[in-house]
Amino acid sequence: MTFATRTWDRMSLTSRLVAILVPLALILAVGSVVGILVILPATMDFLRANLPLVRFAVAVVGILVLTIPTAFVLIYLELKIIARMNLRVGPNRIGPWGAAMSLIHGFKVLSKEDFTPTGADLPVFTLAPVVTFLASVMTLLVIPFAPGLFGQDLNIGLLYFFAMGGLSVLGLLMAGWASFNKYSLLGGLRAAAQIVSYEIPLTLSVVGVVILAGTMSMNRLVLAQSGSALDWFAFKQPLAVLIFFIAATAEANRTPFDMTEADSEIVAGFATEYSGMRFGFFFFAEYVNVFIVSALLATLFFGGWTAPFNWPWPYNLNWLDASGIGVLWIPIAIIATVVVADVVAVAVRLVGGRSWSAPSAFGLGFLAAGVGIAAVVGLACFIAFDWVQGIFWFMTKTYVFVFTFVWMRGTLPRVRVDQLMGFAWKWLLPASLLNLFVTATAVVLLNQ
Amino acid sequence: MPTRQRATQPDGATQPDGATQPAHAARTSQAARASQAATAKAQRQRPPEQYRSDDDPRIMLDREVGADLFEPIPPYPVRTEREAEFYTRGDGEMFLNVGPHHPATHGVLRLVLKLSGEQVVDVDPVLGYLHRGVEKICENSDYYHVIDQVDPLEYVSSLFQEWAAVLAFEQLMDVEVPPRAEYIRVLTSELLRVSSHTLFMGFLALDLGGLAPILYSFIERDEIVEMLAALTGARMLFNYFRIGGVNGDLNHEFLSRLGDWMSRAAKQTEANTGLLNENEIFVRRARGVGILDREMALRFGVTGGNLRASGVPFDVRRAHPYSVYPQLDFNVPTRLEGDSLARYLIRMDEVRESIRIIDQCLHNMPDGPVMAKLPRLLRPRPGRAWGAVEGPRGMLGVYAISDGSDQPFRFRIHDPSFLNLAVVPYLLPGNLLADTMAIVSSLDPVLGGIDK
Amino acid sequence: MDRSLKRRLEARLSSQLRGPVRQRHDQTEIRIGPGDVPDVLRTLHDAVDLRFEILADLAGVDTGQEMQVVYHLWSETASDWLRVIVEGISRDDPRCPSATFLWIGAEWPEREAYDMFGIVFEGNRDLRRIFMPPDYTSFPLRKDFLLPDDAARSPGAGVRHVERPHAPAVVAGDPAAGIRRAPAS
Repeated sequence: MTFATRTWDRMSLTSRLVAILVPLALILAVGSVVGILVILPATMDFLRANLPLVRFAVAVVGILVLTIPTAFVLIYLELKIIARMNLRVGPNRIGPWGAAMSLIHGFKVLSKEDFTPTGADLPVFTLAPVVTFLASVMTLLVIPFAPGLFGQDLNIGLLYFFAMGGLSVLGLLMAGWASFNKYSLLGGLRAAAQIVSYEIPLTLSVVGVVILAGTMSMNRLVLAQSGSALDWFAFKQPLAVLIFFIAATAEANRTPFDMTEADSEIVAGFATEYSGMRFGFFFFAEYVNVFIVSALLATLFFGGWTAPFNWPWPYNLNWLDASGIGVLWIPIAIIATVVVADVVAVAVRLVGGRSWSAPSAFGLGFLAAGVGIAAVVGLACFIAFDWVQGIFWFMTKTYVFVFTFVWMRGTLPRVRVDQLMGFAWKWLLPASLLNLFVTATAVVLLNQ
Repeated sequence: MPTRQRATQPDGATQPDGATQPAHAARTSQAARASQAATAKAQRQRPPEQYRSDDDPRIMLDREVGADLFEPIPPYPVRTEREAEFYTRGDGEMFLNVGPHHPATHGVLRLVLKLSGEQVVDVDPVLGYLHRGVEKICENSDYYHVIDQVDPLEYVSSLFQEWAAVLAFEQLMDVEVPPRAEYIRVLTSELLRVSSHTLFMGFLALDLGGLAPILYSFIERDEIVEMLAALTGARMLFNYFRIGGVNGDLNHEFLSRLGDWMSRAAKQTEANTGLLNENEIFVRRARGVGILDREMALRFGVTGGNLRASGVPFDVRRAHPYSVYPQLDFNVPTRLEGDSLARYLIRMDEVRESIRIIDQCLHNMPDGPVMAKLPRLLRPRPGRAWGAVEGPRGMLGVYAISDGSDQPFRFRIHDPSFLNLAVVPYLLPGNLLADTMAIVSSLDPVLGGIDK
Repeated sequence: MDRSLKRRLEARLSSQLRGPVRQRHDQTEIRIGPGDVPDVLRTLHDAVDLRFEILADLAGVDTGQEMQVVYHLWSETASDWLRVIVEGISRDDPRCPSATFLWIGAEWPEREAYDMFGIVFEGNRDLRRIFMPPDYTSFPLRKDFLLPDDAARSPGAGVRHVERPHAPAVVAGDPAAGIRRAPAS
């Protein structure tokens, strides 16, 4: 031991680096040879043999990774949009226009103390945020983002969605019960009553769509609406859209139905005693819920990833495709960027003269070239690849609804508990039943 | 009967056997050692007596009570019939401690609610968290000093509290206030009334879950407060009124800001009230909630907008005119419903009337001095005086007794929020927990004035 | 000054008035004894030519020799504030009938007067401290209350529990007497 340390102390910096790097390189080399020769083929064979499983695993990982950025974007949007509606500036310190605000929120939540109140039911208390979070995240599995871009194409996708959505109330109830706090308890009970009540009109309003499309698979529901905007179910089921939107607001615990965390009444509802990352899970789950509900609204009634007009797509740009020049267009784009940057820089120097220094001229050139080439490449991808197009339309539609939810939060007061329940049972439920009846009758009559 | 009392055994009674019988302690048996250890553990768990603060809110934190941990039941025997009635739980009822730190209690109000599910069965407001003993302080300061002592009482509209004190003192000293000073008082305080009512609108909406109106309110309030800061030098605690006048004449900055604001005040008020008046959810939540009828309003001694919303046209400015109000033309809006919505609408009507009054003040303001001639040291003749003004929340009164010295012998402050809040135990039962906020907020209490 | 109010008061309350009806500025002042409080207030509230319906204020006063309870009333029949001073309340055992039978709203001002002066309002069913802590032992607005920094053994020395006197003064019939804890040894 002493020998080793003494030798290490006497070594120069270079020899220390060599002493570390050479064995590492050796290990890596041997490892990669073994890997390429032995492990990779075996793995590839295994993956090929179990493609559905692989697809599932990739989807799960992808969705879990996707969740956090989605929540961040939504939190930032909410902060900023509500601020503008309230004549405030909103976050403007961290990042451009405060865009990194929600990232910092995330770090803050991670670094805060995570305490458990005296008297709390510890296992339930700990599990509650996990249940809520997972229930929200797992619903993302069946949402088709674009043609071919979805977690799983279940033939009972819609049913799966509502099953998972119903699970989230369990987490809220657990949190309310386990916190040993009366505010939490009230919040949990409100959540249970509200979500269970609103689940019925929510589900019933969708049955009309299912009857029209004849399927519960999300993908086939989207395909049933392909064509133009006139083929959307929103125009065939206007009442259902309204019911679904209202019930979904209640389901996602958003204003004006945010009874479960009504801050002026029951402090923070079920989340009163939560702090740190446990609270963070609730927080993320809420925003993921908003995203999911908007995505579902877009998918079921507004055509999902289909374009709103008859777009001649996918336009056949063979030379961009893998069979044409293939991946060569990546180096072409890079070279084009450099060339355009140089051209712009020279032009700026020629026109602007001495007022532009060389670095700033090149900087401007790179900026212009980068934006221009990116736009061109993006447009080309948009035209060439249907999944890029699909994602574009899907996200556009979804974020329109996200904005609507945020808008409602910035504008509306909160309804009372009895008004909320009365509205669900006296208005939404009969309306959704009526909608179902009319749809079913129409389908039967028209099919005869 | 109290449902729970402090553990009856005093600390001394839980001594282990060994302590009383030292002979046995010498040859400690296994059982005695175990009991000793248990007692030591119990003593370790219980906080030492000297660390118990007398000032803590009476929430039970003792471990010795076990299941009823954290119940907001006071740890002492009940004091009154009413307290006994309140702290006896019926079947299926629970206590909920709202405040003193709660997002919707407008300061440090604490309401102990007795709930049956979401329904409020009874409520016991607990005050005193902001008590500073201002009356005692005022009795120990001279007459000039009193004005800035009463300033922070009703901190949302502090000029009115100053005015009440100054009014009482002027009666004690038989001071004649110059007319220009009276007009300036009316002008500034009506501005503050607009500010206070606008803020009320925002907070009512906030308590009902609406985020936007509060910020629109604060924009209005900020303009008014900046305006007054140009005149008085302070944004909140103005210390502007003096015995016999006001501290300074109107200046250019104040008037130019006021002109800017007046040019759009009426329109802006309509726009801001439109945010709530035309909101179906807000109207449905406020209508028919917390109905206070005329008879009960009078019996409770409620004043201000809350009383006028119940159909009693009692406004001190008209009922018992002071200052130059008899010369001004304004209406006293009343409504008959007596619910939260009426209390809100009354205040919005009053904003319109206040803007009219400000307009008249600006047009009728005479020239002249703004202070009466007064000695440096004030020693009024012995006597008693009562000065009352109509504040944004109701009648603000000051009852001052002079004994001939330079300090008031007794200085009684009557704050309208105090009596307005006393209605809460009458209004809340039968309503839902969510309505608690709609009702308390519509009464517009300011805890600085209530707790004195 | 409302001269007719003076005449009406003298006509209605001649037997209960202590001393003359005084008037100054816009206030009319009458003095009564503690025993007459319910009758006088009832008359003031109900009599058709008085109808003092609004209780503007209820205040306790410690004159140094005696306790007083002061009511300020308003009526639309008179242009003056009416001040009713209940005088002659003993300082050692201050008792006064409650006004809650007429104005429920008097409950809290009476609690405040009890809290500050120790005046026991008989008939108030919720007479406990309202501002000071429930185990507080003295009455801060009394004239013999010295501020706590004046003397640690003053009656005001209940403000901090370390300064609490050895045996707290007990007002006879004080409903709070039962809740006082023994001082920490």
